[in-house]
Amino acid sequence: MTFFDVITRGLTRRPVRTGLTLVGISVGIAAVVALIGLSKGLVTSWSAAMKSRGTDIVVHNMRGSLTPKPFPASAGDRIAHLPGVAGTCPILVDLMSIENAEMMIVSAREWGGFCWDNLKLVSGRLPNNQTERAVVLGTTAADVLKKKVGDTVQIETEELAVVGVIDGGALVENGSIILSLPLLQQITGNLDKISAIDVRVTPGMSEADIRRLCSEMSQLIPEARAEIAGEHLEHSQGYRVINAMSWGTSLLAVLVGILGVTNTMLMSVFERRQEIAILLALGWKRWRIVRMILFESAMLGFFGGIIGVLLGIVCVHVMKMAPAIRGLLEPDLSVELMLRAIAIAIFVGVLSGLYPAWRSSRLTPSHALRG
Amino acid sequence: MNGEAAGTGYVFESAGLRKEFEDGRVQALRGVDFRICEGEFVAIVGPSGSGKTTLLQMLGALDRPSAGTLSYRGESLLDLADPAAYRAQEIGFVFQAFHLLPTFTAVENVQIAMFGLKQSATARKARAFELLKAVGLEHRMDHFPAKLSGGERQRVAIARSIANSPSVVLADEPTGNLDSETARTVLDLLNTLHRERNMTLVLITHDMTVARCASRALQMKDGQIIFDGDPVNLSTEQIR
Repeated sequence: MTFFDVITRGLTRRPVRTGLTLVGISVGIAAVVALIGLSKGLVTSWSAAMKSRGTDIVVHNMRGSLTPKPFPASAGDRIAHLPGVAGTCPILVDLMSIENAEMMIVSAREWGGFCWDNLKLVSGRLPNNQTERAVVLGTTAADVLKKKVGDTVQIETEELAVVGVIDGGALVENGSIILSLPLLQQITGNLDKISAIDVRVTPGMSEADIRRLCSEMSQLIPEARAEIAGEHLEHSQGYRVINAMSWGTSLLAVLVGILGVTNTMLMSVFERRQEIAILLALGWKRWRIVRMILFESAMLGFFGGIIGVLLGIVCVHVMKMAPAIRGLLEPDLSVELMLRAIAIAIFVGVLSGLYPAWRSSRLTPSHALRG
Repeated sequence: MNGEAAGTGYVFESAGLRKEFEDGRVQALRGVDFRICEGEFVAIVGPSGSGKTTLLQMLGALDRPSAGTLSYRGESLLDLADPAAYRAQEIGFVFQAFHLLPTFTAVENVQIAMFGLKQSATARKARAFELLKAVGLEHRMDHFPAKLSGGERQRVAIARSIANSPSVVLADEPTGNLDSETARTVLDLLNTLHRERNMTLVLITHDMTVARCASRALQMKDGQIIFDGDPVNLSTEQIR
């Protein structure tokens, strides 16, 4: 029998209580995995979309929200001829409620711009020209809206023909309604306005050069800001708020877990006062008793963490099927996030065990043995 | 602390030992003086509340006296740098209520006493097997305490008490919860171990038969020793 056996026996003596504590801590960790996974997923999903389009730099006016605010389309002309710029594609993007879908990305792109190049037709065709009152749907968007080629889709008060279904090579692209820029400008009343410019740089440019180009663009267009694709979302205030809220909610859930483990370990120490006194009488050092309690609570945290990560993965997969999220983002369930969640759980376990361990170390064996 | 008596030649020696509880309202020991030699079998008798268990816990460094001196082989137990090491290496405890850990099997209960010594898990297990065999429980090793009879539990507790080869065994009414026949078996076992291993045995009892097996009796009343001598001179009234 090893010290590890002694610890596991301490946890298995009250299986129901241990199980309930594991549920408590795992719910907290599941919240961490799900909420942080979703918020990180926002960045990775949009980064994937940018990569799919071949966009290196995004010029935007995002500030406090997740979707960019419109700015004059003339800004595109000011940066198009800068050295290092291989191509630009002004776009107008918005999150809108479309028919039965609560939130959907509507992405209007300059006709003939490189942002149309990544769209592979699954069925139908692309619009014939920028004035045709037609849209193409990403595969997920078509699925969510239950539309096919030949149907119509209503954006604001306009009814537009669905002429094609496309695979854009990224979740965000597939979850979008895509149309020509002038059409959406007209529908939303944003005439001569765009919300972003996707920029392609000359192949082979170093990251440092791209960052320099971003600074140059930002100076040329004071009303907007140029950033490396993907980073633009990560740096936005809106994303930071979402991230902070995710962590805040997760920490609250973790706090409930801490209270649960502390309660369990305190109960355990209280119930085992006599056993701890016997161990002291048998020559166990107080430090060994403290270690035993701390290891028990750390182990609760560890297993709670593993269960929590699994629960979080299940939750995330259920949540991403929800109509409000489907097609908007792919949760980022990286190994790093899972390891971090388990580390948090172990830390929670140890933290929760500190007070019970201290209580156990203060036990007077002679009193406990008298009962 | 080594196994040899240093200086005084006594295993335990006390002078003016006092123990008070509840800010002096309860006086469990009121100036106890005694000496116990190497290899002695000392029975401590007396009515409930006379201070027997308090005295035994002082000998095992489970509690500290309020006043007086108490030494083990010439070294003060009040100044022990590491009481846990003292209990692990020098002392074995046997309790009336057995005090086995309910979630561990018999063989694990014996092993758990050996965690204080630097031994491998395999060596601990082998030693526990050997000790349970010595107390006649080789067929009950993997049983949990709840599945053992009172006598078997006490034999496991005795095996546990000698797991680290202590030079002293402190037994607090080891036969108190047993029927007379089982009590006899347990007492014989303690006596045999005491003789064969030359251990000092200090045993609390209310049972005259048990007390008369000892080489010496200390009778306590109201926190004081009122008789110290041959157990044959004890009367039944004196120990109740």
